[in-house]
Amino acid sequence: MAENTNIVHTHHNTEAHFREKHLMLDPLPRGQMNDMVMESMHTTSWKFWVVFAILSVIVAYSLFYSWGVMIAEGLGVAGVNRPSYWGIFLVNTVFWIGISHAGTFISAILRVFKAEFRRPFTRAAELMTTFGLVQAGFSVFMHMGRVWLAYWLMPYANQRMLWPNLHSPLTWDLLAITTYLLSSTMYLFLPLIPDLAMARDRSTGWRKTFYKTLALGFRGTEGEWAHLRNAMNIFAFAIIPVMFSVHTIVSWDFAAATRPGWNSSIFGPYFVIGALHSGMGAVIMVLAVVRATMKNMKYFIRPEHFDAIGKLMLIISMAWAYFFFNDYMVQWYGGDKWTHQLLHFHEAGPMGWMWFAMLFFNIAVPWAVLWNQKWRSTPWIVFIVGFFINIGMWFERYIIVPISLSINRMPFTWRLYEPGIEIPLGIGTLAFFILLYMGASKLVPLIPVWEVEEGQMAHEFKKFGRETVVSVSELE
Amino acid sequence: MTDNFSRRDFLKLAGVGAATSAILTGCGPASRYVKREPYMEMPEYTYNGLSTYYATTCRECAAGCGLVVRTSQGRAIKTEGNANHPLNLGKTCARGQATLHGLYNPDRVTDPIQRKRGNASATAVDWDSATQTVADALKNNKPSEIAFLLGTTSDHLFDLVADLSAQTGINPPVRFGALSMFESRATLAKAAENLFGESGMPFFDLGGAQAVFSFGANFLETWLSPVSYTRGFAGLREALTKKRGTLVQFESRMSSTAGKADEWIPLVPGTEALVALAIGRLALELRGGPLPRAFSDIDPKSAASKSGIKLETLERYAEMFANSAGVLAIPGGAALGQTNGLAVAEAVLTLNAVADNFGKPGGVFFSPLAPNQAMYQRSASVKEMQDFTKKLADGKIKVLFVHGVNPVFELPAALEFKKALEGVEQVISFSTFPDETALESDYVFPDHHSLESWGYQRVATGSNQSALSGSQPVVSPFYNTRATADVLIAAAQLAGGKFAAALPFKDEVEFLQSKIAPLMSQSGGFFSAADLPTFMAYFQQYGGWWQTADSRTVPNTADIFNRSLKAPEAEFAGEGEFFFMPFVSPTLAEAGANKPWLQELPDPTTTVMWNTWVEINPETAHELGLEDDDVVKIISEAGELELPVYRYPAIRPDTIAIPFGQGHTAYGRYAEGRGANPTDLLGGHFNEAGDLAFAGMKVKIEKTGRKQPLSRLESLMGVYGVGLGEEH
Amino acid sequence: MIRPEEIKMSAEETGKWGMVMDQDICTGCQACVVACAMENNITFVGEEDSGYGRSMHWIRIERFWEGEYPEVKMTPNQPMLCQQCGSATCEPVCPAFATVHSQAEQLNLQVYNRCVGTRYCANNCPYQVRSFNWRDYERPEPLSNQFNPDVTVRRRGVMEKCTFCIQRIHKAQDKAKSEGREVVDGEFTTACAQACPASAITFGRVDDPESLVSQLAKKRGHGIKHLEELGTLPNVTYFKGG
Repeated sequence: MAENTNIVHTHHNTEAHFREKHLMLDPLPRGQMNDMVMESMHTTSWKFWVVFAILSVIVAYSLFYSWGVMIAEGLGVAGVNRPSYWGIFLVNTVFWIGISHAGTFISAILRVFKAEFRRPFTRAAELMTTFGLVQAGFSVFMHMGRVWLAYWLMPYANQRMLWPNLHSPLTWDLLAITTYLLSSTMYLFLPLIPDLAMARDRSTGWRKTFYKTLALGFRGTEGEWAHLRNAMNIFAFAIIPVMFSVHTIVSWDFAAATRPGWNSSIFGPYFVIGALHSGMGAVIMVLAVVRATMKNMKYFIRPEHFDAIGKLMLIISMAWAYFFFNDYMVQWYGGDKWTHQLLHFHEAGPMGWMWFAMLFFNIAVPWAVLWNQKWRSTPWIVFIVGFFINIGMWFERYIIVPISLSINRMPFTWRLYEPGIEIPLGIGTLAFFILLYMGASKLVPLIPVWEVEEGQMAHEFKKFGRETVVSVSELE
Repeated sequence: MTDNFSRRDFLKLAGVGAATSAILTGCGPASRYVKREPYMEMPEYTYNGLSTYYATTCRECAAGCGLVVRTSQGRAIKTEGNANHPLNLGKTCARGQATLHGLYNPDRVTDPIQRKRGNASATAVDWDSATQTVADALKNNKPSEIAFLLGTTSDHLFDLVADLSAQTGINPPVRFGALSMFESRATLAKAAENLFGESGMPFFDLGGAQAVFSFGANFLETWLSPVSYTRGFAGLREALTKKRGTLVQFESRMSSTAGKADEWIPLVPGTEALVALAIGRLALELRGGPLPRAFSDIDPKSAASKSGIKLETLERYAEMFANSAGVLAIPGGAALGQTNGLAVAEAVLTLNAVADNFGKPGGVFFSPLAPNQAMYQRSASVKEMQDFTKKLADGKIKVLFVHGVNPVFELPAALEFKKALEGVEQVISFSTFPDETALESDYVFPDHHSLESWGYQRVATGSNQSALSGSQPVVSPFYNTRATADVLIAAAQLAGGKFAAALPFKDEVEFLQSKIAPLMSQSGGFFSAADLPTFMAYFQQYGGWWQTADSRTVPNTADIFNRSLKAPEAEFAGEGEFFFMPFVSPTLAEAGANKPWLQELPDPTTTVMWNTWVEINPETAHELGLEDDDVVKIISEAGELELPVYRYPAIRPDTIAIPFGQGHTAYGRYAEGRGANPTDLLGGHFNEAGDLAFAGMKVKIEKTGRKQPLSRLESLMGVYGVGLGEEH
Repeated sequence: MIRPEEIKMSAEETGKWGMVMDQDICTGCQACVVACAMENNITFVGEEDSGYGRSMHWIRIERFWEGEYPEVKMTPNQPMLCQQCGSATCEPVCPAFATVHSQAEQLNLQVYNRCVGTRYCANNCPYQVRSFNWRDYERPEPLSNQFNPDVTVRRRGVMEKCTFCIQRIHKAQDKAKSEGREVVDGEFTTACAQACPASAITFGRVDDPESLVSQLAKKRGHGIKHLEELGTLPNVTYFKGG
């Protein structure tokens, strides 16, 4: 352990007050914490199974039956048409990729910047990344006219020397998403190993076998920890550019096209910020639910965490507003008549309400609520804010995809998009996301216990005269 | 040519005749009837992977355009215009292209059937008993109790029945078609007869004209010969070699023809004659000299105020008539389908005398008669059909044969044709398709589709050259159908006596040859041959026979100015504030509704597909509180219809328009139960020539409160700004 | 903004086959639409889907309105079909190489059996002339007897568009080759141009100054190429006339 590097000055607060407020200053014995996490996994109420069953039925109906119907009948059962050749499937793809960004942001960027408040919920956020990407994958496959030939988009050796078109943003997209899925899964797995080992040591029966297999024989030796830290460090740094690139490349699906309203050079950062906006909203919703429904979680997830994420959300919302305004301004100032037509259509067209709702949910709501520390520390309030932001961000993607497609340079073909089977299929991906998360909460320690313990070890109170000071020591 | 004319020689000749590919013909027994054979035993001209082309004649309307049909392995693949044919010069309209969807329609009558009238189900009979049924019908009834109702195609069958009637005393065949009703053919012919002293079909040389004033003639859609007139229109517009010509269209609703006009004049319906006479008088006054009698009674000022056209506009047009060459006035369509229609036709034809264009380029001619035609014949006017219907209703006809026409669907509701059929003991239909009339028949003995048929069609108008357009089977019959001519010939033989004597032929082809043989002795033909087989081979190869010289004739206009021309007020039947304007759907016409690709064609003016609509001026709709797709009830004195509204920007506010073509209650899956039929609103009012005054009615509109979205190709947002907050 | 002349292309890449549309004489009669459907085995989709922007026409006639009653006018009918761009926006975006530029014909090809149905090409087509097979539309027997054996029948999930009747081009080229000569201008034409009663559509070699299309384009003058400002190098020229 290195020397003290970080000193927080406090004035008149008592130690007890700090303990209650900050997880890092409220250590429990290691064994007890491990047991609490194990208990949270093992305690399952009947309500869990009811919700689980309902979601399973929804997933079975939408992802098996409805998708089956669509594969058999063709995309005619969906709402896509000329000129809105893309619809809710791609809205959902972008949306889920956006959701997946929060996990990496929290666990990689906050880790790299040593934000201590991240510790209890990096796992919860990382799980969102992986499960969100699964839904994005489903959505993009649903979107394809001939999904049974999806493997043609992968570069694989074949006798006819047919390769994917590297000029196409969709090919970049596919490669980016695949890279992101693989790397984020790896990055989810690495910090999970010590916890799996912990769970292995406290389980019997099939769970024991399950954890034993996944823990890869981790025993907690100094050498293993060193390797693990190395790997995690490499991944934490490496995955940040991947994260930025993924949504930037997703934005190029639109920005690289010739369509008015899409052909915008700011779409890359705009999409990344948008992804974080919805992703943070989703994280805070998940944390609120986990805290409210799972045993022992009130100890690990405290108002301080909502407060911290709330601040981030407020900043991201401001950044999003900045990019939105910037994009709008440049588009409008460009003076292209088709772009003007489109901007006018966004606001005053038949779906204009959605444009205003987007601004309300993405800007007005977070700005009005999150400036207040009390409000942003209250789980149910931030849950609602997170929900609104996600609705707003979904609207944003809906405006970019089918609504912007309704208008083009050939007014004779303009036509509105009316979703069809996309709705059950979209609900199916949401249900599947929640289902995966619920399943994971019963199989994987949602709290990275070792990280919390590590943090708690690094924090201590020091007394300088009458002053009580919190000190954090740099590990390694 | 000799008797030894071989197939090899023949192929060489074929190569000369056809532009890109050899058009083959049947000239021997093997090709007389095309057969469907397994690959192992291909018919003589059929090779795997190679197409065979046959020339024939389109029967989607009566114009008689030549087709070349590409076939592959015994199947018809594509119809193209016959480039040699003087009428259409290689071009086709949409309906001609879609004729294949008739041939391969899934709802054809596949076998001869017998049914209880009105009952969709039927029992199949064999052709022997079918022939016997026809023979018995001929033999067991008095000749005066036998009637034939034929369509406007095909002429060879009309000739056959006419011969039969002439020699056996049965009623002469009556021909009818909804197109001739909406074209007001009888009125045009009658006006020509009144003015020029001879009957005939006027020919309007659009291509040579510099300015065309069309009074209701929708010549780019269905009028007389649309492919030929469209070519004429292209010639009018031709700007490379001459000054671009002008088109002015007078009609209350902008048709797709008027849509191409430089000026569309939505005059008050019924004032066309006034306008024509006023323009004529103003032009003659500009020129100076004494006013002839024809134009002496008209007061241009009152004509202008009655028609709602500014006097300056009329004066501007008059100047064109007075000072320019190549000015042409055309009467047609709805302008003649009014109670004063004959006066309109006469006034507009006389206007051409002011332009002095008779027999000149860009002027009025008489269409040449077809090579085997002695005098001009026209199909029955609706007045004549009313008389015919009355005969049926009164039980004066015991057996009615129907071919090529669907009167139950096409005739105005007021004639009550369906009810009249109850007075006929036996109705025998030869329909290829299960149409409404076939449904009301006791027997349906289906004819081949036109692409499986022999025959010929006289080119009535549209061509400079006298032409007889030939048909031959391009594929072997797909179903158990039989040529009606063959059925009649066989039945006549069975009936024996004078019937057998009237039709002494082995089959339809022998009959055709007997009719075509006289052409061999005519001079000036596109081809000639010394012997009949060679001549027939050429006839089939080229798709007909026509003279090479311009054989249009010039009307005798000596007396034209000396007639007194009246412009009587048009009368409008029924109560209501809206003039009613039915028009023929340019894409469906009278019989296109069962062809799915025609259904899916956007209407040229409204872009509506698969349905019927009522056109209402947006201002009027606003006043009535009507939006697009609101279903309204249209009430006339004869009936009522419910239709969705199309807010049509180019129609008079006091007029509503409904396309004809849909509203079938039978006629196969694509037609049945779709849209509405405006003839259900039509009463029995006629003009002096006996044509229906279909545009001479007034109707009421009632809201129903329902909506029925119309399928449009156009975007309501992009074209009309609907929903964009900037509607226009 | 890129000006077309700034796009550097070698001579053989600037277009070979082209069309001239005379909007002044196009009557909007739809003969070309059926001719195209019959030649290219295009399916019909029925009332509901056609009203929802899913009709499969490869060529459509556009018309707008100008002015108010009674001075209202229909704008000249505008046949809109694949412009066979020299620098097509549909081509680079396809991830599967299903829409590619033909070096030999200088046409935008659509390889039906390579298409996986991402529909990116259709989004990126500024002319909106691509049709997608939203379903396997029913063509009850015996309508299939009419199918042109030279043209693939497409199934659901596949994009399609006007090919300038490439099967006819190839047939004419094969014929000319077997006779040891070049293809003669006017020897063949596309289905739409062949049917057009007004001869408003002319098809031919735009790289041959003697061909009818080149001559027409030169004589008429003031031709418009739609959305040329996007740098797509379209090969269809429109004359509004009037």
